[in-house]
Amino acid sequence: MTDTTLKSAVTPARIGRHRLGLIALGLVLAALFVTPVVIGDEFVYHIFITICIFAALSTAWNIVGGYAGQLSLGHAIFYGIGAYAGVILVNMGISPWIGMFAGAAVAVVAAVVVSYPCFRLHGPFFALATIAFLEVFRVLALHFRELTGGATGLMIPLKIGWEWMVFRERLPALIIAFGMLLVCLGVAWAIRSRRLGFHLIATRERESAARAAGVGTVKVRLFAVAVSAALSAMVGTFHAMYLTFIEPSSMFSLQLSIQIAMFALIGGIGTVWGPLLGAVLLVPITEFARGALGAEAIGLHGFVYGVVLMLVVLFMPNGIMGVLARFASGRKEAAGDEPDTHIAAVARTDVAPQIGDPVLRVEGLQKHFGGLHVTNDVSFTLREGEILGLIGPNGAGKTTVFNMLSGFLKPDQGSVTLLGPDGEWHEPGNPGDFAALGLGRTFQIVQPFAAMTVEENIMVGAFHRYHAVSDAREAARETAHRMGLGRYLQDEANSLTVGGLKRLEVARVMAMKPRVLLLDEVMAGINRTDVKRAVDLMLSIRETGVSIIAIEHVMQAVMALSDRVVVLSSGEIIAQGDPQEVVRDPHVIEAYLGKEFADA
Amino acid sequence: MRLSFIMATAATAALITGSATADVKFGALYPFSGQLALLGEESARGVEIAVEEVNANGGVQGEDVTLVRGDAVDNNQAIGEARRLIAREGVKAIMGTYSSSRSIAASQVAELSGVPYFELGAVADEVTGRELQYLYRTNPTAEDMGRMSVQMIVDEIAPALDKDPSEVRVGIIHEDSSYGTSVAGHQERFGEEAGLQIATVQGYPASTVDMSSLVLDLQGRDVDVVMQTSYQNDSVLFLQQANESGFKPAAIIGGGGGYSMLPTAEAVGTDVIEGVLDVDFTQYTVDPAYAPGMEDFVETYREKYGEEPRSGHSLNNYVGAMAIFAAIDGAESFEPDAIVEAVEQIDIPEGETAAGYGIQFGENNQNERAKMMGMQWQDGKLVTVYPAEAATSEMKIGQ
Amino acid sequence: MQTFLQIIANGLMLGGLFAIIAVGLTLIFGIVKVVNFAHGEFLMVGMYLTYLLTTGIGVHPYATAAAVVPILFVFGAVTQRLLIQPLMHARDEHIQIFATVGLSTALMNLALLIFGADIANTPNHGLRSQIHLGPVRILEGQLWIFLAAILLVTGLQLFLARTNTGRAIRATAQNRAAARLMGINDRFIYVLTFGIGAACVGFGSALIAPLYPTSPTIGTYFVLIAFVIVVLGGLGSIPGAFFGALIIGLVDALSGFYIGSDLREAVVFGIFLVILILKPSGLFGTRVSQSHVSP
Repeated sequence: MTDTTLKSAVTPARIGRHRLGLIALGLVLAALFVTPVVIGDEFVYHIFITICIFAALSTAWNIVGGYAGQLSLGHAIFYGIGAYAGVILVNMGISPWIGMFAGAAVAVVAAVVVSYPCFRLHGPFFALATIAFLEVFRVLALHFRELTGGATGLMIPLKIGWEWMVFRERLPALIIAFGMLLVCLGVAWAIRSRRLGFHLIATRERESAARAAGVGTVKVRLFAVAVSAALSAMVGTFHAMYLTFIEPSSMFSLQLSIQIAMFALIGGIGTVWGPLLGAVLLVPITEFARGALGAEAIGLHGFVYGVVLMLVVLFMPNGIMGVLARFASGRKEAAGDEPDTHIAAVARTDVAPQIGDPVLRVEGLQKHFGGLHVTNDVSFTLREGEILGLIGPNGAGKTTVFNMLSGFLKPDQGSVTLLGPDGEWHEPGNPGDFAALGLGRTFQIVQPFAAMTVEENIMVGAFHRYHAVSDAREAARETAHRMGLGRYLQDEANSLTVGGLKRLEVARVMAMKPRVLLLDEVMAGINRTDVKRAVDLMLSIRETGVSIIAIEHVMQAVMALSDRVVVLSSGEIIAQGDPQEVVRDPHVIEAYLGKEFADA
Repeated sequence: MRLSFIMATAATAALITGSATADVKFGALYPFSGQLALLGEESARGVEIAVEEVNANGGVQGEDVTLVRGDAVDNNQAIGEARRLIAREGVKAIMGTYSSSRSIAASQVAELSGVPYFELGAVADEVTGRELQYLYRTNPTAEDMGRMSVQMIVDEIAPALDKDPSEVRVGIIHEDSSYGTSVAGHQERFGEEAGLQIATVQGYPASTVDMSSLVLDLQGRDVDVVMQTSYQNDSVLFLQQANESGFKPAAIIGGGGGYSMLPTAEAVGTDVIEGVLDVDFTQYTVDPAYAPGMEDFVETYREKYGEEPRSGHSLNNYVGAMAIFAAIDGAESFEPDAIVEAVEQIDIPEGETAAGYGIQFGENNQNERAKMMGMQWQDGKLVTVYPAEAATSEMKIGQ
Repeated sequence: MQTFLQIIANGLMLGGLFAIIAVGLTLIFGIVKVVNFAHGEFLMVGMYLTYLLTTGIGVHPYATAAAVVPILFVFGAVTQRLLIQPLMHARDEHIQIFATVGLSTALMNLALLIFGADIANTPNHGLRSQIHLGPVRILEGQLWIFLAAILLVTGLQLFLARTNTGRAIRATAQNRAAARLMGINDRFIYVLTFGIGAACVGFGSALIAPLYPTSPTIGTYFVLIAFVIVVLGGLGSIPGAFFGALIIGLVDALSGFYIGSDLREAVVFGIFLVILILKPSGLFGTRVSQSHVSP
């Protein structure tokens, strides 16, 4: 997914391009309004009103389909709800300006009810579920005739005036349509450039990493769906007034839903301006196709349309914004050559670490996967400022224990309690609660948010502490420099090396300023120098008072780092204590190397 | 899934209005693309033939008529095209629209612009029930269809079955879009007024692929007469599945769409469709004496398009358009109010148009003399059997 | 009671019809992981081919399968190779959906262009004649469809379980990367699977065409139902698709009779939603839903 993000610029060239882009978009928007006014033709008005309506719907859709990555093909539900609410209320003598908000309220309720159970579903399943909901809504609208007028639909009385949104002249309708487009764009832009936008995109890219970073993934997506539904419903109300006549088949229409998504796709899904560009480009093209081909033969223009759609998808998979971004990056100048700040900026002191009171208690954890007993009665305690090494052969159940320590898995029995900043002991139930209490974790398989820059990745962690974008950005930069990622701030996360990604993973967690840090094999697969750096890094982290549990296979690092190690084998703790003693324990040697070695 | 296009056409009209000597323009707003294209096109042909005939006879108020097409592929587009016809082409009036929902949407635009709108083919009640000043409808409506089908039961079927109308059990089924729903609603209302026993009223989606449960339900209710308002696919499906379940009601009365078309009969087989009744616009099997000009129309049609008319839609649109043009010819000018005034004066008695029914606008600007026709499939052909003055054959019931 | 048995029989026959369409879709959806919205149009293309062959050279509709099945196989394989394959690595999985929507639109309109909106009737060669089975009656053609569905399901299942190619297909479905490491050409497997999925529909269309009038839009109704069945039966599960189809057929027939024909779509989609939300792996699916932690 391309995200031509509107990040704050770092280099003058970037600022220039950014400004150029904004000017171009401003011109497109201005042209949308000015062209029909200048030409003054009713038909041109109609086309531009239509562009505004579809651009607005598509922009609203994009908040869910693009930012949150939930491909809804049922968005006509909300559009239809808005339209019906508006028309029903107008027939009761209530202005559509009020009906608009009533419709939006109903749509929000419907959106939450429909989406909540569906968020478990991903990709095509979510799309199919939304289609099914749409069909159900359509059939119900046909069935409940008293309310909806059934198949024959509903009309509005032709009461003229601003109050009723019905006009003889076209300018006021254009003003409303254009205004709605601006509102939708404004909301979409505001969401994208604020914390919510970061949370949504993080959730879309890597749901579990987002959860570990304290993002309430369900909450943010519900919020996105609610906003999107409200906007769609409001546009629906206006369009109903413009059409003056609504019926279930054209309101709760799958074709409309797909069309809305298509504009966003062709413009650039997940970008703020893509849906607008998609509508601006596609509406006139369909015009032309229909005009030139529609009269020739039934079906010809539909055929051409389908073929063009396939070609666009094949050759412009990232949409117009993707093409523009490629064009822009082609001229990109070399990024600023900021010196690579080496890690461990904080000088190491040789003062012995101060190990304090317990901060995390693990008691009697039990976990079964089917018939497999993966965790058996695991108990240990982590103290403040301590580095605890969690080691064991492959398949010992280390990551499973981590998942239970961070709320991603519920233990069958036993408990994980965490000392909160308030001095009380808590037993959190899910990753969000763990994060809120100051527990951060990394993942064995790195989980970068691919569509984001390094800076934005770290900002997702920083948002755990800060609400404002500027604060989070500052914190992220500071963390990045500390982790030696300073020069990569504006690079896409995907472009980093494995070592870089591991550091990014740690940086994102560090930006949360956790009190307890769970590190899952951050040293696996990186070279010797990097291992040494990582060891230094962990020690420097610990010196800030953070308690660490590290799963690690690199023994040299474990020995150097850990104050204490816990050895896990087949889901059970077989030894724990001082690292030097533990590695001499025959049980441990047996577990690692087999029985012969232990006896030798 | 078919993605119908949302937007309006720009250039269609330009292609058609190529002749530069356009003197006075009228709009022809029909669905020329999309799902309804077939019969939309068929309807428009009727208006085209009318225009040719009018121009051959000296035009309207001495001026040649140019027809400007507008493609009403969906409601939003219908509005856009109406705007274009009015604002850009400057048409004096719009004729249309075959589809009721497009008609309702587009006529609101015309009303707000003060341009007369003549509906020649859409049947929904809502088209005329809106107190619009500039909208007139020449064709019979869903109400006429419902009334006619009930009349056929009361006048012909019940006596043939040797039953009192109150003893006749009726099942009403309909496709669940606006068309089927409104016809079925009238059938139910008129049926109740006539004292028929309405056993059930059931809708179904026109795209359905199985109607066996519906057939079993009707069978279980022991109905004498089934009234179905449908398109083609569901007409075929119902007739086949009813036949295969051994369901043989004394009469099946189809409503329009699929029942009037020859491919339907071919699809289900002439033996299966034998005796099935049909209420629809006037078709070409009507008694020529009752519908003077019908045969000439068919001949012109054949010449112009090189094929037989595909349905009665062209004929009915032709009749409406001819009457409107004749009235406008006698108007003082092309000003909307002059046109409306002239149209108000139309008074054509029954039996003097090519569709048989007369024309006079009454309440809500609806043609009060518009009538559907009752037809029946006999020996593989659709013949007109009701009312008696238009009939070419006897209705055969219970044979 | 008689009516009830007849409804059950109708539902089962309808289920057989759905099954023969859904089997191909479950292969494509379950193995290539593509939501193929053009699946209904594959059916439409197959039915028109059957129509053309039967009316053109006057053969029995079932005989046309010999030509329709390979044609659709090639058609499906080409679709995968030229349309889906290039998008396999797109950053956005959604994009394939729109590619198939484009294909669906193009095919449907092409049919409209060539054949017009009218229905096309394939000669039925007596397949509409009735068979009495105890108290119920069904059509000969329906019975053949039902038996053919069983045959197809069994055959495909054996193919997937017993042949090397079949095992390779299943391995690719379970873990593409691992399959590739084992030396399986995953791109070829996908092309093959898409081809087989389309060929299944081709087989179905030769059986369905004599019973149902063909029109450009015939696919639209079937494709949504087929998706319901595939999800109900469990993604990629061939027997699941079969039993899912029977269940939906029965639900359709029963709700059409007892609830009302206008609401039966709502019932079918309602059941779909309940299954999707409560048991996304489907009634017969074995695939465990995504673990929380794996990316």
